[in-house]
Amino acid sequence: MLKFIIRRVAWTIPVILLVIFMTFLMMRQIKGNPFQVTERAVNEATQRTLDRKFHLDQPWYIQYAYYVKGVFTANLGPSLVQRDRDVNDVIKDHFPVSLKLGGLAMLWAVLVGIPLGIIAALKQNTKLDYAVMAVVNAGYALPNFLIATVLIYLFAVKWREHTPFPTNGWGGWETWVLPAAALGHAPMTFFARIVRGSMLETLQQDYIRTAKAKGLRWRRVVGLHVLRNSLIPAVTAAAPLLGFLITGSFIVEFVFGIPGIGRYFVNSVTARDYSVTMGITILLSMIIIFANLLVDILYGYLDPRTRDVRT
Amino acid sequence: MALLEVEDLRTYFKTREGEVRAVDGVSFSLEHSKMLGIVGESGCGKSVTVLSIMGLVQTPGRVVGGSAVFQGRDLVQLKGRELEDVRGHEIGMIFQDPMTSLNPTLTIGTQLTETLRRHLGMNKDQARKRAVELLEEVHIPNAARRLDDYPHRYSGGMRQRVMIAIAISCNPKLLIADEPTTALDVTVQAGVLDLLHELRSIHEMGVIIITHDMGVVAETADDIIVMYAGQIVEQATALDLFDRPEHPYTEALLEALPQVEGEGIREGRLRSISGRPPDLLDPPPACRFAPRCAYAGQDDCATVPPDLREIRPGHWVRSSHPTSERAAAPVGAR
Amino acid sequence: MVVDRRADFEASLTRTAELRGDQAGGALQRASLLRDAVHRFLKNRAAVAGAIAFLIMVVFVTITPWLSPHDPYAIDFGKAYLRPSWDHPFGTDDFGRDLFIRTALGGRVSILIGFAATVAIMLVGILYGSLSGFAGGALDNGMMRFLDALYGLPYLPFAILTLAIFGTVNFWTMVVALTVASWFTTARVMRGQIITLKENDYVRAANALGARWYRILFRHLLPNTLGVILIFVFLELPGVILGEAFLSFIGLGISAPKASWGTLAQEGYSSYLAYPYIIIIPSLCIGWLILSAFFVADGLRDALDPRSQEA
Repeated sequence: MLKFIIRRVAWTIPVILLVIFMTFLMMRQIKGNPFQVTERAVNEATQRTLDRKFHLDQPWYIQYAYYVKGVFTANLGPSLVQRDRDVNDVIKDHFPVSLKLGGLAMLWAVLVGIPLGIIAALKQNTKLDYAVMAVVNAGYALPNFLIATVLIYLFAVKWREHTPFPTNGWGGWETWVLPAAALGHAPMTFFARIVRGSMLETLQQDYIRTAKAKGLRWRRVVGLHVLRNSLIPAVTAAAPLLGFLITGSFIVEFVFGIPGIGRYFVNSVTARDYSVTMGITILLSMIIIFANLLVDILYGYLDPRTRDVRT
Repeated sequence: MALLEVEDLRTYFKTREGEVRAVDGVSFSLEHSKMLGIVGESGCGKSVTVLSIMGLVQTPGRVVGGSAVFQGRDLVQLKGRELEDVRGHEIGMIFQDPMTSLNPTLTIGTQLTETLRRHLGMNKDQARKRAVELLEEVHIPNAARRLDDYPHRYSGGMRQRVMIAIAISCNPKLLIADEPTTALDVTVQAGVLDLLHELRSIHEMGVIIITHDMGVVAETADDIIVMYAGQIVEQATALDLFDRPEHPYTEALLEALPQVEGEGIREGRLRSISGRPPDLLDPPPACRFAPRCAYAGQDDCATVPPDLREIRPGHWVRSSHPTSERAAAPVGAR
Repeated sequence: MVVDRRADFEASLTRTAELRGDQAGGALQRASLLRDAVHRFLKNRAAVAGAIAFLIMVVFVTITPWLSPHDPYAIDFGKAYLRPSWDHPFGTDDFGRDLFIRTALGGRVSILIGFAATVAIMLVGILYGSLSGFAGGALDNGMMRFLDALYGLPYLPFAILTLAIFGTVNFWTMVVALTVASWFTTARVMRGQIITLKENDYVRAANALGARWYRILFRHLLPNTLGVILIFVFLELPGVILGEAFLSFIGLGISAPKASWGTLAQEGYSSYLAYPYIIIIPSLCIGWLILSAFFVADGLRDALDPRSQEA
């Protein structure tokens, strides 16, 4: 198991390098030199100093090397648009908000979605099952800007006398509930669906018949034998979901006016603040890479077969 | 009193196309420490019979009638929780495919000890100690070390040994083995069968072994039941059945068995049985073997269902044309 | 971003490939296999309902603009914010434009972009996946490592970056942006399909008979993946349409006065308190299309995998 983890961790390094490289390549396509087109336009002498300072007079692979060094030393350079601010500052200010929002949404998705899926599977083909799946299917299909808007409309406007939730902003817990629910809704339905499907499949397995033939209590059959196996697909799906929670928050942050990184990312693109754009892209990608890493390790723990074969 | 007394057991599957009578009035009894073989083609209802006894029939199947009295209690009537107390404790069961019958995500140790803890109330350490003994009993080398391995590290034969260890862990009075060797390599089969016999005599268990292979039960079973299309067609002691098979189907099964040595080796080719097992959605109206039977057609056996009758003491057969009543070979027999 | 359902299809598709391989011998058998699949699909009520719903939407967006008496671009402030009525079934927007015809036109844009991007994703994915699977060996290994590295990366940031590189948003740049980071799963599945099919006896036989590689690939392998490709079209489409809607909703969509459903929803968002129908209608259209595509994909999968029949 330890060997498996070490190998898996080592593998993330080339992956990170590759992702940085791709982002770097894409950013270079946008324009040659950032200081000539932005509002921070400067005279030629300063330009040369700046070029030297940021290694822009070097060939691209040297620039890449410097950028990689910057990533690994957590120094992503200055913002091109906002004076006196680094990309680091931007991330420090806005990322924790997104992280909290994403975490709460994930919590919502797991705490509601998994039990819903379990209930639907155990009560397969009953009215309860159909009701759960109807909600899940509807929730799966509706875009989350609609869900966010409807939540605001209902809870923060129509019933505002009875609920403490504001229409937008980010502060105390009451400002978290609606955004987290809006953001967590799609992954919640996803968990419910995937857990239901895999539970139904697991219940048909021979080893479940064995567990029953052993006279184990139904509680233990479901709680240990069924659940452990049917949660594996849910865990596998969790990493892309984390990506969803961070990138999907573009919309939710937009609708609820939350100062998170997703919103800032969009702003940086429209404001042509490329160093920020690039920094955030790499940050998001690294989060996904580490989420994948975490999931693989968790997967190795849940499904012992993978430990012996996977790298 | 018999260890297990099954009486007129019926298990039907309700499907969209209609009702499938997978087990249609099966009766037999098993004495203490005896071994019963149930033989038949796949789909003849032999597996469903034992699953019905264990209460493990999956929907849409349902035991609709009959009884299975085990040590004075009718298992068919038992409530779910009472049945759980019997399963794995007083009746152990092993299945056909050891590759899929063990939970891939739990260690062998966990899967072995949970039965001990559930039924015998052992604590963790006691159960572990006993689990090692059990693995040794089924001849798994390095038992103590291999307890923490996961099933994928075990070969098929070893997994079946583990299944056997689980099944006998609580000293059951009855062991049911559903095609225990079918999925195994030929070289491993004999070992597993030997182990079953060895354990049977040590633990004084009654054993029901289900197989489609006459060879598996030939030497070791005390009694043999031949099933066809959900019904018992012949039932006798093993010796009598092999010496003097009465049902045309049993005859055909025995003829399909390759012989390597021994007296009176048949000459020529192996025989296969012509035709297919009947569609249980719409079985033949009377004798279910009639469409494939070489002797049918001379009387009314295709319209009047033959009863299971005792043709001589201890030998039951469901046919209008048992061997001993046939005057001569039919015209144009195979 | 729509939650990624493609991965759950992988296992069952591989199984289907194995089955198809067994039976894929002659054209005759393939034809009867197809007939069986069509039969199974038609017996699946949810799938048929999905297909009909899908067609209804396509017909709606196609013919409405020809039949409607209103000019979708005529501005008339006297008719602004009319509630849904007989004359304007979906009401009018802030410029007094008829939303019925605008929804249909928006649907055209959304669906066309969706289909174009889906085709692009399929092309890239099929090319990459079948090359990798067919070549095998070190090339396959390298190509898969590359895919593994990219797997799970959120596609929206990369789509936004792509749009930033182009500098303008129009139909084709939108298609490219939606394709850039969305083809990984298709490639993986295609590789799996090709590898499974390659193991079949008839391919080995063709090899032994000295058939050229392109004949084996185009004659024996790819035709047998058609079913899977069809499933994937319906799996990709919802994600792409939703992705376009998200981009439009945060203001990175095709520019006015042309509109997609996402743009319409964004316009509705600014006045959702007073006129909620303006955001709800295009959102429901998106949901309608996604859900119907989803049921079609599910039905296709079950139809092509004889073993996955549920009671």
